[in-house]
Amino acid sequence: MLDKGQFEKILNRVEKPARYIGKEQNISLKDITEDTVRFAFAFPDVYEVGMSHLGMHILYNLLNSKDDIYCERVFAPWTDMEEEMRKNNILLYALESKDFIKDFDFMGFTLQYEMSYTNIINMIDLAGISIMSKDRKNDDPFIIAGGPCAYNPEPLVGIVDFFVIGEGEEVTLEIIEIYKKWRKSGGERKEYLEAIASIEGVYVPELYNVDYNEDGTIKAFYPMDAKHPTKIKKRIIKNLDEAFFPDKIIVPFIETVHDRVMLEIFRGCTRGCRFCQAGIIYRPVRERSMDTLLESARKLIEATGHEEISLSSLSTSDYSQILELVNKLIEEYKDKKVGLSLPSLRLDSFPLEVIEEIQKVRKTGLTFAPEAGTQRLRDVINKGITEKDLFKSTEEAFGSGWSTVKLYFMIGLPTETFDDVMGIKDLAYRVKDIFFKMPREQRKGNLKVTVSTSCFVPKPFTPFQWYPQDSIEMFNKKINLLKSSIKDNKVTYNHHDSRLSYLEAVLARGDRRLSDVLIKAWKKGCKFDSWGDKFSFEKWLEAFEETGIDPDFYASRERSYDEILPWDFIDVGVSKKYLINENEKAKKGELTKDCRKGCTGCGINKSFTGGVC
Amino acid sequence: MKIRAKFTKQEYIKYISHLDLMRVFQRAFRRANIPVKYSEGFNPHPQFSLATALALGVSSDGEYMDVELDTYIEPEEFKQRLNIVLPNGIKILKAVFSDDKDSIVSLIRWATYIIGFSTKEKVTPEEITSEIDSFLSREELILTKEKKKGKKVTVKQHNVRERIKELFLLSNENDTIILKTTLMTGSQGNLKPEEVVELLKEYTEIKIEEDSLKLHRLELFVEKDGAASLPI
Repeated sequence: MLDKGQFEKILNRVEKPARYIGKEQNISLKDITEDTVRFAFAFPDVYEVGMSHLGMHILYNLLNSKDDIYCERVFAPWTDMEEEMRKNNILLYALESKDFIKDFDFMGFTLQYEMSYTNIINMIDLAGISIMSKDRKNDDPFIIAGGPCAYNPEPLVGIVDFFVIGEGEEVTLEIIEIYKKWRKSGGERKEYLEAIASIEGVYVPELYNVDYNEDGTIKAFYPMDAKHPTKIKKRIIKNLDEAFFPDKIIVPFIETVHDRVMLEIFRGCTRGCRFCQAGIIYRPVRERSMDTLLESARKLIEATGHEEISLSSLSTSDYSQILELVNKLIEEYKDKKVGLSLPSLRLDSFPLEVIEEIQKVRKTGLTFAPEAGTQRLRDVINKGITEKDLFKSTEEAFGSGWSTVKLYFMIGLPTETFDDVMGIKDLAYRVKDIFFKMPREQRKGNLKVTVSTSCFVPKPFTPFQWYPQDSIEMFNKKINLLKSSIKDNKVTYNHHDSRLSYLEAVLARGDRRLSDVLIKAWKKGCKFDSWGDKFSFEKWLEAFEETGIDPDFYASRERSYDEILPWDFIDVGVSKKYLINENEKAKKGELTKDCRKGCTGCGINKSFTGGVC
Repeated sequence: MKIRAKFTKQEYIKYISHLDLMRVFQRAFRRANIPVKYSEGFNPHPQFSLATALALGVSSDGEYMDVELDTYIEPEEFKQRLNIVLPNGIKILKAVFSDDKDSIVSLIRWATYIIGFSTKEKVTPEEITSEIDSFLSREELILTKEKKKGKKVTVKQHNVRERIKELFLLSNENDTIILKTTLMTGSQGNLKPEEVVELLKEYTEIKIEEDSLKLHRLELFVEKDGAASLPI
């Protein structure tokens, strides 16, 4: 346990000490007995980011609802705190008990974005645990990982002991059940790993082998012992409505990224945007019923006192009873001054009156995500929004008093030309024109159009997984084209760092050889890579050079359909044939309809049942 | 209808900022079903104010707030309901109805603090007392403050001697020295305990161990008819 006196001295010296104190409302405090299984939920980023993650709140409360499991939280300490910890020999500790993670049974990471991988290594090291699985002893915790990036776990092989693929609610409990038996038996570490390998959704990398071709591609991927599954099938919760949802969540003391009650209204998405990994891996669509949600909202507001509820999903307006739900929430919380926010809203299908009603409590800007600048390219990615939709929505919004609009785009999408890039500028300017075409007396506020572009990263399990990413030079060319052509004080242009997106592409589609690069980069001091000022591209390039690994092999290479991809052994329920077919349709600019309007044959309803396909 | 309440900010909660503390209360009001009055407009805010801000890391036994109510609630119930839902370290000690037209912020004049520390070299109580006596006998204690306005840094110097009402040695045990002080606080002149520590470092021979410094607010005072009194 931490020495309190020493700890307080350090808190006096670091920025935002409240990140490190715990003690928030609704945390779980438990007595620890011999039978307690101690689980550290580890988020590889700072407190403010980690606390905004709904999955953490769900798993934390689920695990703590069991008497013999104690789940605590740990986040990446900011660099000033890390420095103090290393200087004073303080090991990474859990926020609730202030006990050292080293003494826990599990350290479970959630993989939300690739650029947090170096933070994972850093946290394991700060905890005083060996960063390589093979060096860990029987009394060390098991390092496990799940979350969206675990759908390609290979870059972390050798570091993480085992992965959980898919939704964690049930499988985590199964893993802990077997752990209890193993602990009692006093067996070897390897015996536990062997035992859980048969749980659906669990991937134990050390039980698998990879052979490579001369050109560096994969020749074969197989379990070393035939008793282990050749395919790892993702886990899903069949009936979301009956699935665990917390009735209280921790209330942070300091402002976090999403400091509010998050109501998860459904999982999955039926739209079929071809760049979107979440749209594939989270299939099928499963909704929570309106009554369940209203009840959850009531309990959560009562337990937290939060001033805002947000409806969380991949595409909020696709919830089958969205209007009734929103109206009921507005009605119930108007007097309590609880605001409602609807991220991921598709404005093409949502009545503005309702948005206006929502914004009576708190007014924010409007966000649109056309993703691409021209209709041709929007058809390639199967976005399913037309220019008309966008212009109609903005016109109505301006007419109702909005004046702040954000537009999100990607550059580097498959088949993109410079005309498509310029289309982004044209679209932004058209939005501006719509505002100024309105009679002066109808215009409210000062127009502000913000255009943001991110660099397209081809992701596993998408129809674009075979596609080479644009080079950094090409990205910069496109960014500069936009920079030099958007010259209007009403339109602001933001863009992402193309070098970071390049690394993201390397890790997203990487294989197990990349773990050497990760460790090397971390040894050179890489951490908090997604935090602009901490990011050092040069160190990463050195790490690639010294390990003899060519990053272009992963980011910039076109794969053929018959190549064995590093993540092919994971079964997400959507067939490879479907992804190939979608990619071919993309090349021709052919649309695929929303699968709520009829099955498009992705295969998910063959592999999994229970969803609204 | 206005309730004036006294509360503590102790333990780890001393590491949250003034703004964060405001948010803790806003949420606690909602959890406790306190009928707080809200402002009108696009971003409705609960009508309540805290007396003065504490620096990060300073604990307190004597914080105050004013809360405007929308509907009637007994102060005792206000206190009890909040104490159930407030995090450890924050506790409502007392709550009363107040018909004060002035806000608590504008009324505060004085604050008492405990300043605790150990020293780099051993000192006797007599030495400390004599250092403090000569410190207080000075006519001028100049506090230097840097103010940043954009890129421009201006240095301002103030004689703050008048803002120290009292300062004395409370105890000197186990190498820990504890001073008690009463300082001017509020809009008409303000001196923070951390600034007193700065002055002590500059004007006395007391070698304060930086790491060991602990600051604690004991109480706030308003001034009525020239005499200091408690806010409630």
